[in-house]
Amino acid sequence: MGSTVPGGYAGKILRVDLSTERIWTEELTPEVCRTYVGGAGLGAKILWEEVPPEVGWDHPDNRLIMATGPFAGLPIWGTGGLTVVTRGAMTNGATNTQANGFFGANLKHSGYDAIVIQGRASRWVYLYIYDDTVELRDATPLLGKDTWETQQALEQLLHLSGHQLSVYSSGVAGENQVRFAAIAGDYGHVASKNGCGAVMGNKRLKAVAIVRGTKGLRVADPRGLMLAAEEIADDLKYDPSTRSLYEYGTLPGVMNLLRLGALPIKNYTTNVAPPGVDLDKWTAPGLRNGFPHRGYQCNACGMHHCHTQVLPAGPHQGELVDEPEYEGWSAGWAMGCTDPVAVAWLNTQIDRACVDVNEFGWLAGWVMECQEKGYITKEQLGGLELRWGDVEAANRLLQMIIRREGFGDLLAEGVKRAAERLGGPAAECAIYTLVGNTPRGHDHRARWEELLDTCTGSSGTLDSGPPVRHTEWGLPARFSTFDPEAVARVVGVTRGRRHFEDSLGACIFTTRTYMATLCRALNAVTGWDFTKEEAMRCGRRTAALLRAFNVRCGITPDLERPSKRYGSVPVDGPAKGQDISKHWEHMLDVWYETVGYDRRTGKPLPATLRELGLEHLIPALWGSEEAAHARR
Amino acid sequence: MPDAEPRTPVTGEVEIEAVAWISRFVGGDGSSRKVFREPWQPGDTVRSVLQRFSARYPELHRALWDASGNNLGEHIEVLVNDAVLGIHHTLDSPVQAGDRLSLIGQYMGG
Repeated sequence: MGSTVPGGYAGKILRVDLSTERIWTEELTPEVCRTYVGGAGLGAKILWEEVPPEVGWDHPDNRLIMATGPFAGLPIWGTGGLTVVTRGAMTNGATNTQANGFFGANLKHSGYDAIVIQGRASRWVYLYIYDDTVELRDATPLLGKDTWETQQALEQLLHLSGHQLSVYSSGVAGENQVRFAAIAGDYGHVASKNGCGAVMGNKRLKAVAIVRGTKGLRVADPRGLMLAAEEIADDLKYDPSTRSLYEYGTLPGVMNLLRLGALPIKNYTTNVAPPGVDLDKWTAPGLRNGFPHRGYQCNACGMHHCHTQVLPAGPHQGELVDEPEYEGWSAGWAMGCTDPVAVAWLNTQIDRACVDVNEFGWLAGWVMECQEKGYITKEQLGGLELRWGDVEAANRLLQMIIRREGFGDLLAEGVKRAAERLGGPAAECAIYTLVGNTPRGHDHRARWEELLDTCTGSSGTLDSGPPVRHTEWGLPARFSTFDPEAVARVVGVTRGRRHFEDSLGACIFTTRTYMATLCRALNAVTGWDFTKEEAMRCGRRTAALLRAFNVRCGITPDLERPSKRYGSVPVDGPAKGQDISKHWEHMLDVWYETVGYDRRTGKPLPATLRELGLEHLIPALWGSEEAAHARR
Repeated sequence: MPDAEPRTPVTGEVEIEAVAWISRFVGGDGSSRKVFREPWQPGDTVRSVLQRFSARYPELHRALWDASGNNLGEHIEVLVNDAVLGIHHTLDSPVQAGDRLSLIGQYMGG
């Protein structure tokens, strides 16, 4: 253990160069810990410093950073997390995407806060980590295996199971560099955004397998940590909103968003459930109790969130699946499927194949609509008929995509590129941002804050998510999602909160408490004196770094807008007629002013960079323009 | 109306629907929905009807309103006749007998 780092840190970054098969460690300094905390913050720092603009997502010099934070491995709920930061394949820009399970805890107990992978292996390998034993091992026997099969094979090989071994891999999709391949592990946990699995596959890294290490973790104030952890847990258990999360995870989202017009149905063609659907099956208790189920909690977690299920009926009756998150259920609705058993089955096929469930949902829904309207023919799909709600056909499409077979090769490029390649009326039905990513599983035409957040995000997905405890920042408790000014202000003011959460090494669902409470826990762990203002400044620093990285990569404000369908007007349902497009430019004006970025170039302003302690970025970002900007 | 039962004409009453999770705050189990009928009074607004109704359910009251008890808190979304509050109605908009107010939990997903 590095002796100079604060409590909660292992003190080392593990470095792996796949090209040379060199493995080494690097000390983490107290200054870096305090400035960037870990996870997303640490990853953003490394990405900015080590990946210049000419190094694209598929260049060997791209970095794949798998980082934890100071909470990982400690007795705070949901602290097995890892955050993946890289230059991703979908936007060819920054990626910040989180998964949970046990990876982060196992890594910390082996003595590392993060893994930074560079280079490209000359053969397929997997990375094995157990304390000081770190090896690149032959992955040939694992090729062609999905994420669950990969984990099972390594469990067998290493004679380990359960929490003793965490395995994250990128499935067949990663092997074939499907542009929206994910990195998934621990049977159902997925870092899914921006094609981070394509980066892993491009490096010929099949998996990372971490045995739970033997190294202890020191904290500055053990009693204070226990009190703060209890305070977080109590807040999750008793707050009127998070209580639903505590009891049912994200399951309540389906009914809530259906009634708000924000559940995406049949590729944004309607916001009304078809007649005859038994909606009681889609409430949280309906989804949980409609299946034989069992809790499958992440490290140190007391939430009733993650579960495994057994399919009670249908052609796959008796199969074990991972209970879908809201995003998995909503992907089913996007394809017109309203049978929970069918959606639960498909969701696990998507995880095992290892692609982003949102991107696949938009892609399959789009192909279904295009085939119905004759824009994509059965012949183009190699004889496949893809009708609304047909999950078996959707799975065949999935298998074509992950193997890049036939039309699947085009679809493996994701919605935006496939739509642009096809053009014509098909392109007008596709849901994406011009940057290259797609939304989470919502109809954002009824959630303007997330539409704006998705388009302006610098991480290949939305940056801030739904506002959490935003009254802490002086914002009103409730604002209308159709008030452009209020929405843009809220998205701007809350920017940074999630980046901070993503730096802690904890699940974003267990950090849904007050920032002041999170700071009490962080201070007990580290011995620091973080205030919520410093925490927010830290998160905004990470957000600005990722934004600066993207600007340097050529991602400019003209790309910050939705595709025609994504920004269209709902034709029915609770948000019928609401048109964001006429407010879009004004929303961007307000957002840019609030976050302190330059509206014309997208760059964080010099004053913003100075305020965030990032003045060293100014020469690279602004150069001689700084003086000119100051004059404007 | 995605999940509505056929609307029965209501005379002199406003319908209040606690959807799914929110039914927990009014004696339900979080599944399905619970429907109540609140007597309509001349001059009623969205706010006045909801305040009168929530006064009988302390848990709902705490979740629905902010500390002042006069403005909505962050936990519950309100629909008026299946349209999101803010489209056709505000809290101060008049309500008529036969109108329906739906209460929906805040989205807590990813």
